[in-house]
Amino acid sequence: MTQYEAIIGLETHIQLNTQTKIFCGCKADSWDDAPNTNICPVCSGLPGSLPVPNAAVVAKAVRLAKAMQADIQAESYFDRKNYFYPDLPKGYQITQYDKSIATGGHMDVPMPDGSTRRVGIHKLHMEEDAGKTRNEKGRRLIDFNRCGVPLIEMVTGPDLRSADEAAEYLIRLRQLLRWLDISEADMEKAHLRTDANVSIRVRGETHLNTKTEIKNVNSIESLRAAVEKEIARQIQAYEAGERIEAWTLDWDENAQTLRKMRSKETEADYRYFKDPDLLAVRLEPAWLEGVLADFPELPLARRARFIEQYGLPEYDANILTSERSLSDYFEAAAAAYAGDVKRVSNWMMNDVLKLLNERGLEAGQLKLRPEQLAEIIQLVDANTINTPTGKSLLEKVQDSGHSPQEIVAAEGLSQVSDSGALRELAEKIIASSPDNVEKYRAGKDSLIGWFVGQLMRESQGKADPNAARAILEELLKG
Amino acid sequence: MTELCDLSAADLAARIRAGDVSAVEALDSALARIAAVDGRPGALDSGDLTAEDAAKVHAFITLTEDRARAQAEAIDKKLAAGEIPGPLAGVPFTVKDIFVVEGTPSTAASRMLANFTAPYTATPVARLEAAGGVMLGKVNLDEFTYGSSNESSAFQPHPRNPWDPSRVVGGSSGGSAAAVAAGEGALSLGTDTAGSIRQPAAFCGVVGVKPTYGRVSRYGLIAFGSSLDCPGPIARDITDAALMLNAIAGPDARDATAATLPVPDYTAGLEDGVKGLRIGLSPDFFKITYYNHDTGEMEERPLPDDITAAVMQAADKLSDAGARIIENVPMPHTRYGIPAYFVISRVEAASNLHRFDGVKYGHRTAEKAADLRSMYRKTRAEAFGPQPKLRILMGMYVSAAQYSEQYYQRALKVRSLIRRDFDLAYDPNGTHKLDALLTPTTPTTAFPIGDVYGDSVLMQYADQLTVTADHAGIPGISLPGGLDAAGLPIGIQLLGPDFSEATLFRIGRTYEKETAAAAWRAARPKVLG
Repeated sequence: MTQYEAIIGLETHIQLNTQTKIFCGCKADSWDDAPNTNICPVCSGLPGSLPVPNAAVVAKAVRLAKAMQADIQAESYFDRKNYFYPDLPKGYQITQYDKSIATGGHMDVPMPDGSTRRVGIHKLHMEEDAGKTRNEKGRRLIDFNRCGVPLIEMVTGPDLRSADEAAEYLIRLRQLLRWLDISEADMEKAHLRTDANVSIRVRGETHLNTKTEIKNVNSIESLRAAVEKEIARQIQAYEAGERIEAWTLDWDENAQTLRKMRSKETEADYRYFKDPDLLAVRLEPAWLEGVLADFPELPLARRARFIEQYGLPEYDANILTSERSLSDYFEAAAAAYAGDVKRVSNWMMNDVLKLLNERGLEAGQLKLRPEQLAEIIQLVDANTINTPTGKSLLEKVQDSGHSPQEIVAAEGLSQVSDSGALRELAEKIIASSPDNVEKYRAGKDSLIGWFVGQLMRESQGKADPNAARAILEELLKG
Repeated sequence: MTELCDLSAADLAARIRAGDVSAVEALDSALARIAAVDGRPGALDSGDLTAEDAAKVHAFITLTEDRARAQAEAIDKKLAAGEIPGPLAGVPFTVKDIFVVEGTPSTAASRMLANFTAPYTATPVARLEAAGGVMLGKVNLDEFTYGSSNESSAFQPHPRNPWDPSRVVGGSSGGSAAAVAAGEGALSLGTDTAGSIRQPAAFCGVVGVKPTYGRVSRYGLIAFGSSLDCPGPIARDITDAALMLNAIAGPDARDATAATLPVPDYTAGLEDGVKGLRIGLSPDFFKITYYNHDTGEMEERPLPDDITAAVMQAADKLSDAGARIIENVPMPHTRYGIPAYFVISRVEAASNLHRFDGVKYGHRTAEKAADLRSMYRKTRAEAFGPQPKLRILMGMYVSAAQYSEQYYQRALKVRSLIRRDFDLAYDPNGTHKLDALLTPTTPTTAFPIGDVYGDSVLMQYADQLTVTADHAGIPGISLPGGLDAAGLPIGIQLLGPDFSEATLFRIGRTYEKETAAAAWRAARPKVLG
C-alpha cells in the first residue's frame, strides 16, 4: 500500500436551506410531504411556465464562494443542460455552465495528524435539483417535489490523498455549511450528496491514471469505506496487471460493496446554451456588500485563534468550534468569566455539552446564558457553592430561567464552611457511628470518605467537603 | 347597419359602459358572426375539406361559449351595480391557442397537446379578462407557432383568409388575424417570434403589434424561441391596439425577462400627429435576399410594385402630415436575419420541446413500449407534425458540441450586428436620428393555400422584413396600407427603438387619419359579403 498513492476528487451537491425553491414559490423542503404535493406549474415544467430566480440562493452561493476564497463573478449566467429523464420535467436542467457564480478557490482542511491539505475548488455553481424516480413492481414512480430545490454543486480538484482525507474534507465542509447557514447539511436527508473520483498511482509519479467514479455515497462513513474499498481494488487490479477502466460504481450501503453500474452511457452531449428565460445574474456592489456584511469568522480560523489566543489544547479548540453557536457561546462565557479560559472550556466540554446533548439543543437555544455560566464557575471558584452544586445549578438555571444567584439564595445552596456548624454535624455523625469510628481509629483510614459522605448528606450537599474532612479528621483522631 | 361585432373595441366598450348595449348583446353578436363565417373548428383527424369548408374562415380550435357568457353576464351585473368594469368592458376577444388558459384545452395546434387542459392562466390573458375583456375562445395557428401560413396546424381545416378563402391567413397568429378581420371578436392575443403577429395582420388587413421584448409577460405562453417570443395585440385599428397593449403590458413577477419600466397610457398621445418626427426608409427593406439552392449563392429580388408603392405613398402621407422622411438608411444586416433566425430559434425550440415526452401530460403512445427510450421515440414520432420535427432536427444539430461555435455562437453574433443596425439608425447623436423606420411588412400579399407549404425554407422568407425586429427586441407594428391588384391587403410596417410603442401608435394613427377617405378603406373581406 505504501508504495501507492490515491488521488481523490469529490463532487458534492449541497442542498440549500432557503425558504423556497430556486425558481418558484414552492417551499424548498419537502421532506415530510407526500409525493407530488409540493409542486407548481413552474417546478413541474408545465407548458408556458417560466423560472424566476430566488435571490436567497444567489446570496448563499456568494457566501460559500467567499468562504472558499473563490473569485465571485459580478456577472454569471444560467444555462440549460438538455437531456431526457422522466424526473426532469422540462427535459433540461437549469444550471450554470461556462460562466458560473464563482471561479477558483480552495479549502485548507486540517488532518488528524496535524497536517493541512489544501483542496482546490474547480467548480462552484448554482442549479436546480431534479425529482426522484422509484422503481416499483416494474413501474416507475416519479415524485416531482424535489424539482427546483436549490443546489450548489462544488467540485474539488484531484487533491485528496486517502479515504480519511476525503472524509475529513466532507466533515469540514458540512461544518462550514452549517456555520454559514447555507445548508442544514443533514446527510441522512441527502442534503449533501457526494460522488468520488478515485485513481491510484505509484508514489512519486506525477501523472493521473484513469479514474473511476463512485456514486451514491450518502454518509461520511460510507464515503470513507467506499473510497477505501476502491483504492484496494485498484491496487489489486494494478498488481495483477489489469487495466483500470473508467467505471461508474454504485455504493451499496447495506452490503457495503461497490457495484459496477450497468453501463456507462456514451459521452453525452448536453447541448448547453444560456437559458433565454433568465437574465444574467448581476451582483450589484451594494447588494453584495449587504450579503457579505455579517460574514463571520470561519470555523478553521476560529479554531486556530482559540489555540493561539486562549492557549487551548487543539482538542478543546476543535470541539468548541464544531458548531458556530457553541463557539460563540464559549467566547461570550470566557469574556464574562475573566479568568483562566481553560476552566471555562472544561465546563463547556464536560457539562454544557452534556446538557445540550441531553436536551437536544444547540448552544444558541439555551436559556442558560453564557454570563450565567461564567457566574456559576465564579461561585464555585469563590467557594460560595461546591462543584456538584455548581453543576446542578446549570440545569436549574436552564429549567427555571432564574439567575444563579437567585437560585442559590432561594434554595439556600450556599456552601456550609462555617466550622461551628460543620463541627456540630461531625459530632453528631461520630456519635451515631461507633462501629466505624472504632474501625477508623484501628487504622482503616479509607473510612474517612464514608464519614465525609455522611456529612455531605446531612448538609444536603452544601458542606464544603474540604473543611468537613479536616474537622472530621480532627475529631476522629482526637 | 353596422353590427356590434364590427365595432371597434374602443367604441363597443364605450357603448357598453354607457349602458347603450349590454356585454351579453356584444357577445351574442360575435357568436352570431362566428356561426355565420367560421365553419367547423379545427380538429384532429378531421377528414377531407368540403366545398363549404373552403369558403369559411376556420379561425377557432375551441369556442368557450359558456365561459364567455358567464364573463359577459358578470360584466353586465357589475355595470348594473354601478361598478366600473375596466377599459375593455364586455369586449369579446380571442386568444391564440399557444397561451394556456385555466380549464380550457391549450393545444398549441399540436396532437402533442390535444388533450392538455391547463391548470393556470397566462398573464396577458388574465390581464385582458381583468380589464373586462370577454374571452371567446382559442384560435388556430401553425403547430407550436412554427410557420407562416397556418397550414401546418394539426387542427384542420386550418384558417382561411377572410379576404379570399383560397389564400392563406399568414402565420403563425393566423387564426387571430383572421378572427379580427372577420369580426369574430374585436381583439386577439397573438405572438410574434419572427413576424408571427405582423405578417398575418398584413395578410388579413388588420393591425398587428409586436411590442418591445419583455414589454408583455411571456408567462403562460408555450415557448417557441424564448429569446424572441413576444405576445402582442391584433386589432382592427391603432386605437384598439393601443387600448389592448395598455391592458397586457407591464412587469410580471412570474417572468424574469419582463421589463420593469412603467407602462405609459398608449392611447394618450394618439392624436398628437407626427410633426417633427424623423421617419426613415431603408433600401434594405425593399428587396428580399434568399439562398438559391441550385447556385449556392445569395440572390436578391425586388418586392412587388404594389407593395413598394403602398409604402412610398404612406411616406408621402406622413410627410404631408409634417414628418421628416429620411431616405437611404443603411440596414445592411437585414439580409442575414433569416439565416441567423433559423439557427437561434431552432436551438431554443428543440430545447423547449424537450418537455413533451409523454411522461406528465399531453400525448403518450398507446403502443406498448419496450423501454423508456422507445416510449419517448414513439410518443414524439406520433404526436409532433413535420414542422416541430424539422426544428428539433436542426436545433439539435446546430447546438451539438462540435457545431455550436460554427452555427449557434455565430448566429448570436449576427444577431448583435442586426441590433447595431437599429441602434445606429435610432441613435439621437447619429447620422439618421430616426424615430421610426417605415417598411413593407411582407414581401408578398397573402399567397394561395398550398403554394409555399412544404418548402419550409421558402416559407421562412415570408418573415424576412419582420424578423430583424425580433432579433433586436425592438417594437414593430403592421397596419393596413392599401390593397394590391388582386384586392388583397398590403401591410406597412413601423419599427422603432426599444419601448417606443407610443410613438409608433401615433404615427400609425396619423396615417389612418390621412387615409380615412381612401377608397380601399371601404373595402370589406369577401367572407362578410
